[in-house]
Formats: sequence, C-alpha cells, structure tokens
Amino acid sequence: MSRPSTMARAGKGVAVALLLVFTLFPAYWMLVSAFDGKAGRGSSFVPAEPTVEHFEFVLTDGGFDVFLRNSLLVALATVLVSSLLALLASVAVARFRFRLRTQVLMLVLVVQMVPLEALVIPLFVQVRNLDLLGTLTGLVVVYVALALPFGIWMLRGFVAAVPVELEEAAYLDGATWGRMFRSILLPLVAPGLVATSIFGFITAWNEFVFAMTLLGGETQNYTVAIGLRSFFGQHSNDWGAIMAASTIITVPVMIFFILVQRRLASGLTAGAVKG
Amino acid sequence: MRRDMWTRKNVGAVATAALVALGVAACSSGSGDGGDGTVDGEGKTLDVWIMQGTNPSADEFFDDVSAAFKEETGADLNVEFVEWGDAHDRFVTSIAGGTTPDVAETGTTWTPEFADAGALAPLDEFVAEAGLGDDLVDGLVEAGTYDGELYGMPWYAGVRSLVYNTEIFEKAGVEPPTTWAEIESAAKAIKAEFPDKTAVAVPGDAEFTVYPWVWGAGGEVATQDGDTWTSGLDSPEAQEGLKFWTGLAKDGYSSAGATTWRETDVLDAFAQGDVGMAVMGSWTPGAIVEANKDMEGKFAAVPIPGKDGGMSPSVLGGSHLSMFSTAEDQDLAFAFIEMMTTGEFATQWGEQAGYFPGQKSLLDETLESTDPLVAPFAQQFVEGGASVPVSPNFGAVQAKLTTSTMMQSILSGSEDVETASAKAAEEMTSLLNDGN
Amino acid sequence: MTSTLSVAAPAGPGQSPGPGGRRPFGKSLLARVRPWMLLTPALLVLAVLLLWPLVRVALFSLQDYGLREIVSGEPNWIGLGNYVEIFTSEQLWAVVLPNTVAFAVLSVAFTVMFGTAVAVLLASLGRVWRTVVSSAIMAAWAMPAVTGTYVWVWIFDADRGVFNHVLQSLGLQDAPVNWFTDRWSFYAIVLLNVVHHGFPFVAITVLAGLLGVPKELLEAAEIDGAGAWRRFFSVVVPQLKQIFAVVIILSTIWDFKVFAQVYLMPGGAGSNREVLNLGVWSYTESFGQNRYGFGSAIAVLLTLLLLGITVAYVRTILKEEEL
Repeated sequence: MSRPSTMARAGKGVAVALLLVFTLFPAYWMLVSAFDGKAGRGSSFVPAEPTVEHFEFVLTDGGFDVFLRNSLLVALATVLVSSLLALLASVAVARFRFRLRTQVLMLVLVVQMVPLEALVIPLFVQVRNLDLLGTLTGLVVVYVALALPFGIWMLRGFVAAVPVELEEAAYLDGATWGRMFRSILLPLVAPGLVATSIFGFITAWNEFVFAMTLLGGETQNYTVAIGLRSFFGQHSNDWGAIMAASTIITVPVMIFFILVQRRLASGLTAGAVKG
Repeated sequence: MRRDMWTRKNVGAVATAALVALGVAACSSGSGDGGDGTVDGEGKTLDVWIMQGTNPSADEFFDDVSAAFKEETGADLNVEFVEWGDAHDRFVTSIAGGTTPDVAETGTTWTPEFADAGALAPLDEFVAEAGLGDDLVDGLVEAGTYDGELYGMPWYAGVRSLVYNTEIFEKAGVEPPTTWAEIESAAKAIKAEFPDKTAVAVPGDAEFTVYPWVWGAGGEVATQDGDTWTSGLDSPEAQEGLKFWTGLAKDGYSSAGATTWRETDVLDAFAQGDVGMAVMGSWTPGAIVEANKDMEGKFAAVPIPGKDGGMSPSVLGGSHLSMFSTAEDQDLAFAFIEMMTTGEFATQWGEQAGYFPGQKSLLDETLESTDPLVAPFAQQFVEGGASVPVSPNFGAVQAKLTTSTMMQSILSGSEDVETASAKAAEEMTSLLNDGN
Repeated sequence: MTSTLSVAAPAGPGQSPGPGGRRPFGKSLLARVRPWMLLTPALLVLAVLLLWPLVRVALFSLQDYGLREIVSGEPNWIGLGNYVEIFTSEQLWAVVLPNTVAFAVLSVAFTVMFGTAVAVLLASLGRVWRTVVSSAIMAAWAMPAVTGTYVWVWIFDADRGVFNHVLQSLGLQDAPVNWFTDRWSFYAIVLLNVVHHGFPFVAITVLAGLLGVPKELLEAAEIDGAGAWRRFFSVVVPQLKQIFAVVIILSTIWDFKVFAQVYLMPGGAGSNREVLNLGVWSYTESFGQNRYGFGSAIAVLLTLLLLGITVAYVRTILKEEEL
C-alpha cells in the first residue's frame, strides 16, 4: 500500500479534531459546572468560582461512595452473566439450524421493545414473588435480560464467521472442546465479546427506572442512577451536585472501556491458521 | 346485720374493687385508648414514608421523634425517605405489591387521588377525638377532604408570593408594588434601568404562578355544581387576569426564555440576580441563597398584589400526613400523625424546613415575625391562601399541563388569550368530569 | 488452499463437529436438543422475568385499570375500549406519530451514518490514537442521558445559552430567540442530543466488526487481485451486514421510544402540544393520569409495531440463510 499522502493525513487530523470537539463539548460544560461554585443555567466557559465542594458533597453526604460500589457490582455481574449466556445462545443460533431459530432471534428483541413504564407494576410484583425485591441480584437478572438481545445478535455473527474447518482442525489435533473454545473460538469472537460487555456495562450502569422500582427503600443498595436523581429536588435542582455526580458516573465507564478495548483488535492477531 | 357491711374495712375493699374494675374497663376499651390518648404499641413497628429533601436536618429530627414516639407508645418507628420524583411511582407499585407503609407524606394534590382509589383511611374520627377540628389550616383541610371526609392531616405548607430583588428595586428607584398597575410601572422602570435583565418573570410552564391572576381578577379555575365541574379559565374575569399577566411579557418586561420556564428555572434565574420580581414559593429563600451566596439579604417578598390593592389569592402548596387503609394499628398510626402535625414537633419541622405548620394555633407566633422573608408569606398564607379544585381528576389536568399549554401558546404568540383560554377551559372541564 | 471467502455458511443441518471429529448421522435426538440446551439459560432468564409481566401488560390493556383497581385488586374489563381510543385519537395521528416516525427515521439515519464514518476513521488510526479517540467517544455514551439533555438545553438557552450568545456577537440576530417553542428547532436540538448520545454505540459496534474481520480473508482477497473497494464490499460488508442489522434495529427501537430527551426539554413535557412524541404523549395520557390500562394498550401496540418493523427489515435486508 502506498503511504498516505500528507493531505490525507492532514484531513484525518482535522476530522479527528472536529470529532473530539463535537463529542467532548457537552462533557466540557458538565465538567465546568461540576467545579463551579455558582453552577446553574449555562454558566461561563470557565468556572466562575472554582471549587471541589460539589465532589466532596456527592461522595460523602450524597452517598456516592456506596452507590459507586453497588453500581460496579451490578454492572460487572451483568457483564459476566450476560456475556456467558449470550455466547452459549449465539453458538446455538449460529452453529445449529433448528426450527423456530428465526423466531427466537426476533423474540429476544421484544424485551427491548416494550416501553419500560408499562412493565413497572407487573415486574415489581413478579420480582416480589421471586423474593428478589430490594436486592442487587434482582437487578442483575433484569439487566441481563435487557443486555441479552444485543449480545446474542452480536456474537452470533462472530461465531458464524469462524470457519468450521478451524474447529475441526483443532479436534483432529486432539484438542478437547474446552481447549478449542479457548484457543480458537474465543480469540476470534473477542471483538464481539468486547462490544457485548461494553453494552452490558452501560445498560446496567445508567439504568434508572427498574433500579428505582425494584430497590424500593433499600438505600444501601441504591445505584448511581438513583443517586443522581436525588439531586433533582421538587422545587430546585442542585446543579453543582448533579454535574459532579454525572462526572463521577461517566468516569468508570471510560475506565472499563479502556481496559477491555485492547481486545477489540485481537481478532487480527489470532492464532494463525495455515490452511 | 346489713348495716355492718359498710364498716371501714368493707368500704375500703369495695372502693378498691370498684377502682380496679373501672381501670380494667378503661384499659380494655379500644386498643388501649386511655383517658389522655396513650396508645399501646409495645413490640410494634410503624412504617412511615417521608419525602426526601424538604428538611435538611431530617435525620436528627426523626431521631428525636423516634425517641419520643417510643416513649409515648412503646412502638418503634421505621422512617423511609422517598425522592419526590419517584414518590408517585413508589406509592403505586407498593399498593400493587402490598408493601405499603402505615403512614406517608402525601402531596396535597395526591391525597384526593389516593383517597378516591380507596387507599387511605378517613381521619375524621381521630381528629374529633383529639379535639383538633377547629385548629387546622383551612386551605390544607380543604385540599385533604374527599367526598366529605378528611383523608389528609395538614402537616405543613408554603405559599407563593411576589419575591423581588431589593438591589434592583433600589437602583431603579421602585417601591414594592401593591396593585397591578404598580407592578406594571415597576416593571417598566426596571426594564429602563436594566435592559438586559428580566424585570418580571412570566414563566410559561409554571401552573401555580398563573392562578393568582385569575383569582385576583375575580375568576375561578373551576367550579363544582353537584357532580359536574366547569372550568372558569375562559370567563371574562379570568381572561382579564391572564391578559394582564401575559401582557407584561408582551410589553417586553419578561424574557424570551421565560416562555418555557418552569418554577425551577425562575428560581435559577432569580438566584443569578437576573430577575427583578417573580412569583415564588415561601420555600425558595433558602434555595436561592444556597445557589448563590451573594444573593443573601438582597431580596424580599410582598403578598401578591390584588388588582386594586389587597391581595390576590395564591395556592397553598404543602403536604399531608395520610394513613393507609392497610395500616394494622390505626390508633398507633394516628398517634404518630398527631405527634408530627401538632405541637412542638410541628413547629420544629416548620422552622427547619422553611414551611408553615398546618395547625392554626402554631402560626400566631410566626405571624408576629418581622423577617421580610417570613411575614409577607405568612400574611399571604393566612389571609390569601387558596386551593386548586379538589378533585381526584385534577391530577390529570396537571399531568396534561393544561394551564401551561395555554400560557405557552399565548406567550409564544401562536394564540391569543381568548382562544388559548377557551381551549384550556374546554380541556379542563372534560378532564375533571371524566370519572376514571 | 481452501477458499475462505465463503465462511458465512454454517455447518450442515443439525450437524456439528464434536470432540474427536465424530459426526452424528441424521438428526439424532441429541443433535436436535443441543441447540435448545445452549439456549435454555438465556431463555430462562427472559421467560421467568418477563413472560408473566408481559402477559399482565396484555391483560391490563383490556381493562380500565387505574388506581382504584390497583387498590382493590379487582379487574375492570372493557375489552378493546383502550385500543379504540388510541386509534380514534386525532392528536395521535396528526401530531404524535408523524413527529415520532419522522424523528426516528432521521435520527437512525444520522446516528448510523455518522457512527459508521467514525468507526471507519477509528479503524484507520494507529493504536494509540484509536484508544484516545474511542475513549473520548465513550464520554458521550457514558454521560447520563438526563445530564446530557440538560447541558444541551443550557447551550441553547434563550437568555444565557452560548448558542444565542455566539449568534448575537456575530451579528446574526438582534435579540435572544427561544429555540424550544418552534417544532422544527425543538426537534433539531433533540436530534443533536440523541445522535450525540447514540453514535458511540454504533461506532464501537461497527469498529468491533471492522476489526473482527479475519485478516486472512482480506489477504486472500488481495492475493486474488481484488482492489480496496472490492475488498470492502465483498469481504467487509457481508460481515458487517449482521452488525448493521442489529445496530439499525436497536437504534430504531430506541429512537421510537425516546422519552427523557424530549420530556426534559422546555415545553417538552406536554405544554407544547406540537412537539409531542409517542413517549411523552403516552406518558401524559396514561401513566401521568393513573390510567395504567390505557398505557398498557399503548405499550402492546408499540411493541407489535416495532416487532413488525424489525421483521420487515430483516426480511428485506437479510436473507434467511444469512440470519
């Protein structure tokens, strides 16, 4: 391949710069307000009264030290369980041709289609019947259900793209199913797993309606989404706390992403198969 | 021999026996409701839901209340704080799932709604027994009465009055207005002195800031005739009030953004020092100073001026304490309600939260206050307080934002007062009569 | 060397290589049951959690179900009354649906196109820059929708927003304009908000797809003499078809159901009747008024509508074997 010309490189640089400005502009406002003692409707470009009191408040009285921990537990559990279940299900859908296959694929999407508000009362009663009310476990189960459709669809494509011949070759070499799974299948579906886990993480991390409904009065189990809402009062909003809390909410997701995104490119360098 | 029965020894025995018998009878009547109202709640727990954020010192307050409650009744108190935004959903799901509390704080517009659904227990008997019948604030009692029975015990309320920025007023050489004409001239003067500020905030999405002008002109929001409601928003009087209020915006004394402002937005703008005067609640002074410390001491309030003097009525916004019909021990529940809404704890809550208690006798002292941020509100509270139509269907009117829709279409110029108010009146009438 | 271009075709019907290379002949019971065994955990979660509630929603939709019914626990059947009310609602057909559909089409189009463009850009970057830029994009996705909406509202605030400020200092307008009262500018802002919040999902997912294309395939095609565009269309795009399918379907579903981004905007909670969309309209008409039966009917109809759109899309774009 010829080396990209300077024009192309400059063009790319401009595109990246514009993208960053567009993407980060609202985040910038959020940050400025989070550090501004006079946070409020459209403050200035720089904090009028720089302070860290909002962060202090949010992390102590605001309860975010507990909420962060809870959300982290729930999100990680959701990622692990939904990735596992989605992988199993996608193997079934990708490798096997069975009746109702198409219907199953369509129907798992229904959980994303039904408006949440309509489900609130019946789901509340159902979770109560399952004795999971007020528990983080109940939440994890709900979030897994919400994250599964994307996971199944996503991984299905990746599993299907792995040539059957690769698997057969591994078996011929005497590998067990587990060994084949780890060294052949997993690296090739890694990008799909990464996307699935990011989706699962964010679904669990920012979800509010079910969290509020299912956790009820168990404040010690509250997640960050519920915590954020607490700063919206009936008559006035604590903008400084809202923005500081939002900043605190945004950061862990980015960290999670940075950790897992290394695996996005692993499909490229997966075990070379000579054939 | 019969005369000997009444020897001293026998009299003593008989008298003691009689006293014991009376005592036993008294203790076993009702669930331990003795002569001075003591209730036996030994070993029981009362579940209570309170709204989060009204009182910054709520935690310590309820520690004190729990201790006092335990002492009086022997029962434990389990207080759960609920966010306002989630409260309605929490109530509904708890009713559906059977996890309702015994007592809960209900916003004044929710009480008729829940009462109509059969979720609340009537309190008239308890109130009568406690002798509180005449000592409760009228506006709150009215808001808590459904179908002739009281379901919501008045707890605390605030009222909206005209809050103004004293610095702006001084610089513009303006006095706090006492009539509608004075409001207009004050706005004009402020606008001349400060062309970039909002002289008077006329918000388009703040329902309760509209009704004072309707009432002040002699109109009604809605009236009830038997079982039928009719909205009065399109009456000539109401239209006059609306024309005045929106006219201030049309003359340029408000701001472009105010067309879509909610009460929270009005407060934000006022706290930034950008507003001359606005209709704001008695609970806002604390929030204003918290949002912007520089505003401390730079604002005051007057009751909303009547058209030609006097006062325009303003909505009493507040909360009741309601008893759920699922409460196991209703006497215990009312003991708690009484403790919270009367006497020492009611006063304390009012002071800490910045609201007025629901018991009239407690207000006498507050009315004496010379604080420019208390007295005008108190005056409005007692003399100029009003209630929105007390109907379980009014919640639907609020959900559909009927009044705000009207205001917004007038302020944005898409409809004139006659058309917009006619539409709103029609919608309100239909919603109020639609028995769901 | 076996041609590795046609990897989309899975193994033969009912067959799969097992350990040791044994292949069951015909459709043995085990072969038929195996896919269901793998599916069971996932389906179990979905069914246990949602099957009964979904049934309840359907049942509610046939009732006049309000607070009174919730308290008493007794049903109040009105048959198809709710559905009739929905279909005869003038506001629904005149304002709500057009707003919702038009908005969904535009936002899905913009989100997917912009997201894909970003994915391609990311794929062409070096390791370090890709990490930096993709992490920055995550900020837009991770920021709570509530917060993001308020920030955009501030940016376009009539009196103190930076947008008006810039326009006025450039001399393009004399007085502050309230961008939220007019239907078109209102939705333009919502579009900006939703695309901003939604494009990272598309970008990351498509990027995963792009990076997941086995290098061997591209190399084989290059050796076979295919140019860059040809490689893109015959190797990359088929791989991406599946990914585009799920990205477009999910984006459509979400953009149809947009609620907070409209509700929280000035005038968006119902006081501006011209900007009502399905999410807000259904909320103010049903749950806001304690009409849970009506709300359930709307939910049922919306789910069926979205299911129909999904099925139609899949049928048109993806052929049966590709699914």
